[in-house]
Amino acid sequence: MPIQQKNISVKLDARFSVSTTVKVIDYVMERFIKIGGIGVIAAVSGIFVFIFLEILPLFQWPEVKEIGVVSMPQREYLEMGVDQWGKKPFFLDTESNFHFLTLDTGQITTIPAQLPDSVRVTAYDYSQEGGTLVCGFDDGRFCLFNVEYSERFIDGVRELEPSIKRSEIYRIGRTGHPIESITYADSGDQKIIAVVQDTGARATVSLVRLMQEQTLLGSGAVTIDEEYDLTNQFEGTPVLLLAGTQADALLIATDEGRISYFNIDDEDCELMQVFQPFADLADPAINTLDYLFGGVSIVITAATGENRVFSLFIPANGTSRLFGHTKSFPNFTEPVTNYSPSLRNKAFLLSSDRTLSLRFATNSSIRWEAQLDYNIRDTVISSKYDRLMVLSDDSNLHVYNLHDPHPTSGISAFFSRQWFEGSPFPKFEWQSTGASDDYEPKLSMIPLIIGTLKGTFYAMLFATPLALSAALYTSQFLDRRIRTIVKPTMETMASLPSVVLGFLGALWLAPLIETRLVFIFLLIVLLPVGAILTGYCWSRLPMKIQRGVPAGNEFLVMLGIFVIGFVACWYLAPTVERRFFSVVDPVNGQVVSDFREWWRLTTNTPFEQRNSLIVGFVMGFAVIPIVFSIAEESLSNVPTALSSGALALGASRWQTAVRIVIPTASAGIFSALMMGLGRAVGETMIVLMVTGNTPVLDFNMFTGMRTLSANIAVELPEAPHGGTLYRTLFLGALILFIFTFFINTLAVTLREHLRSRFKTV
Amino acid sequence: MQTVNNVAEPSMTSEGDVSNRTGQQPVISIRDFDFSYGGNQVLFNINLQVPEKEIVAFIGPSGCGKSTLLRSINRMNDLIAGISYCGDVRINDQSIFDPTLDVISLRKKVGMVFQKSNPFPKSIYENVVFGLRIAGRNKREELDAVAEESLKRAALWDEVKDRLDSSAFGLSGGQMQRLCIARAIANEPEIILMDEPCSALDPVATSKIEEMILQLKENYTIVIVTHNMQQASRISDRTAFFYLGELIEYNETHALYSRPREKRTEDYITGRIG
Ligand SMILES: Nc1ncnc2c1ncn2[C@@H]1O[C@H](COP(=O)(O)OP(=O)(O)OP(=O)(O)O)[C@@H](O)[C@H]1O
Ligand SMILES: [Mg+2]
Repeated sequence: MPIQQKNISVKLDARFSVSTTVKVIDYVMERFIKIGGIGVIAAVSGIFVFIFLEILPLFQWPEVKEIGVVSMPQREYLEMGVDQWGKKPFFLDTESNFHFLTLDTGQITTIPAQLPDSVRVTAYDYSQEGGTLVCGFDDGRFCLFNVEYSERFIDGVRELEPSIKRSEIYRIGRTGHPIESITYADSGDQKIIAVVQDTGARATVSLVRLMQEQTLLGSGAVTIDEEYDLTNQFEGTPVLLLAGTQADALLIATDEGRISYFNIDDEDCELMQVFQPFADLADPAINTLDYLFGGVSIVITAATGENRVFSLFIPANGTSRLFGHTKSFPNFTEPVTNYSPSLRNKAFLLSSDRTLSLRFATNSSIRWEAQLDYNIRDTVISSKYDRLMVLSDDSNLHVYNLHDPHPTSGISAFFSRQWFEGSPFPKFEWQSTGASDDYEPKLSMIPLIIGTLKGTFYAMLFATPLALSAALYTSQFLDRRIRTIVKPTMETMASLPSVVLGFLGALWLAPLIETRLVFIFLLIVLLPVGAILTGYCWSRLPMKIQRGVPAGNEFLVMLGIFVIGFVACWYLAPTVERRFFSVVDPVNGQVVSDFREWWRLTTNTPFEQRNSLIVGFVMGFAVIPIVFSIAEESLSNVPTALSSGALALGASRWQTAVRIVIPTASAGIFSALMMGLGRAVGETMIVLMVTGNTPVLDFNMFTGMRTLSANIAVELPEAPHGGTLYRTLFLGALILFIFTFFINTLAVTLREHLRSRFKTV
Repeated sequence: MQTVNNVAEPSMTSEGDVSNRTGQQPVISIRDFDFSYGGNQVLFNINLQVPEKEIVAFIGPSGCGKSTLLRSINRMNDLIAGISYCGDVRINDQSIFDPTLDVISLRKKVGMVFQKSNPFPKSIYENVVFGLRIAGRNKREELDAVAEESLKRAALWDEVKDRLDSSAFGLSGGQMQRLCIARAIANEPEIILMDEPCSALDPVATSKIEEMILQLKENYTIVIVTHNMQQASRISDRTAFFYLGELIEYNETHALYSRPREKRTEDYITGRIG
């Protein structure tokens, strides 16, 4: 058949040109893969950015903005207070008139106190918490005012109607002598009032307890129940008094800067402690003394501007709660003239002539500080912690907006020891919510990080040897046919939902193991030893007997040994427990043979049923299939040329495995471990169910833990959206993210290193 | 698991028997050897003897069973599942299939060099002394001496003496093959089996290895599989020609090449079958 030149060239062209379908598919697939890849990167970065934005406010400092100035009539004002909405502050002037200022309109309503003309107010104390003002008079009597606001809604707008309720006038201490200082506290069932009176000689201190009759119709009349004269119970001249907010304590500060702490209960008034907060200073005198919100800590300033916080706690070798120095703040350069606590958290406002400083006790931080261009007379923080009001010397009220949604957070709150109220020393603690409003949230990430590491550690401790040796045995020694059964079985194991594992672990395994610990430990020790001994004996047997078991089926012999070992441990355990783990019960003096008791008494650490050991087993069980599958795969993938080479040089199978196969597969084995580690670090359900979720700081085998991931699961339902806890949980998530990111990066780098080192041609 | 396949075929030739002529005990003696992979028989009734310190070349078309026979001599075939064989292979008059025999010591005695060089992912030095290390010999001076000696005999010393601690993967293909030979020599075997050691090498590297093999002859008995007829004629003392699993002809090399007794041998060496 004659072939035309032209035809050939056309044919050639067609032969060498790529068909359009291929081109189109190529083009589409390339774009598709590109978009997919970019999408994944974008999604991961998006998640990162989202988490980051969620936690960013935790580290922001407060914003304080002046929103207005209202001029008050020029007067000397003694005291200032504000309603809970921050709308109608009141001012008490020297003539005992209450001036209520409506902030929105600037209108002033004055309510006179209606005191008898004969008395003059010489001392007063206002507690914003109860809205009670106590006034002491020059004739040694006192009375209580209740500042009350009643709400009314007019056209849907809240109107506040202030009113003043005055109690009877009571007498206290030495009648006729002027009251120099007065303090008042009300816990609901008990009210106390203490006064310092000028009697010409040494000033006296008297304390009364008030009783309020509770009738069916409500609270009845207030009567004086009991009176104490404390003058002779302390030394020095009293200058400041402070009643404990629960009406259970009285602090008397003297001119030498000594504070006497009296505990007051139903029967008695007992001196507990005398301390000098500024003993180390040249001038130890106390300038201001007041409680923080919650009534556990007192904020003290010295005449020289030092600012310290003392808290009640039971000291290491003590039995009752005493005051101890817990925090120091940066100095004021001038004496502090005003102190106002927040009624929502542990913040407080200090001011001197022109300096205004918002401080936060829990993390000893200055939240905000400013130099003002006027002289400060008085300050107050609104009860919602959203406004600051500052009264100037020239009777102008400056109102500031305070935006500080997360005062308890901060780097130090999350990562350093914090000295929480009631604790005898600073510590890392996680306890986000408490029973009462005045609870200090404890938001340390450290126990959670430790918990995560602990869970991971025990899981890997259990999983690594088992998974790796199983992978080595399966890939290098096991009979091919059995291998085809083992591998899919392991993969099925990997697909077990962790909630099932957690459920089994918590409800079945934990109680089971609790009473059989000695048996478990015997197994852990004796089985490997038995296996190694058997292996050794087996290798010593004559070839003829060894030949009896086909290669790859030697595990059958081991299986027998395991059964024997299991039974032996089972019967040995009670004896071992009696012999080595018997202790004398300190309560009834009887000898008990119980490992749990032995552990508790010998190590002085707790024993919990749901402990790290169980987590190790159950989470290990979840990790094993992952590590096994990947490790087995990479061990099997070692080129047979290498192992044949070693065998041909007279290496035994074991030598080949250890010296050639494992190093060559090391990159894969390492990846396997890292995958397992990643799984263990992020695992939630198992730790959630198998541990008690107590945030702990130790690596004790018999206590539980709380991991970062479990923490999120436990607390998220209770965390209000956008709140400090909510954002802190995101911080936990970010740390988890960083953990896995770090592990993965480390894994990739090391794997690449190993791969290039052991790469095969 | 080894089952015995009885293929009762009478011996076709008696050329395998060399003991009569040399008068000495052959080092390797293969008798009535059959071999199957699964059910697929690939060697039929092989009878062949290798005298001491001689080079024997196995030639034959691809797939005729040369490698299989070679691997049987140090029992590397054991690693393959489902093989079966019958007959006997004796080394120094001891059966290698004796159940009391330790395969490990057999493989130490019978070294092997593979068709594709397979250095371990270790340094050059560690590759050479691997055999000693697994035998538990770890004395540095001894290892140094053996490494130098083996590398010298494998004609590699001069090329690598300055980089003994660098990875074996940095070597060229020919150097790697010589390294594998050095590795085998370091074990001080009696016999070295080589499966097409030069198949992937250029003529220069090939001639180097050939030179080396000729030198090794002084101390070792060598069995070499090759597809290169010239190579077989250049280096071997005897040549065995296999065809479809049978040993067709086995004779002194020059005799086999100049006066092949079998038609098939002649066809093969003249290139008419292959
Ligand atoms: N592992 C194995 N499993 C099954 N059959 C095999 C195996 N190895 C080799 N065979 C078969 O055995 C026969 C002989 O193979 P062998 O490798 O011994 O040939 P050869 O002579 O070395 O060939 P070549 O010159 O190509 O290397 C071939 O048909 C081959 O398909
Ligand atoms: Mg071959």
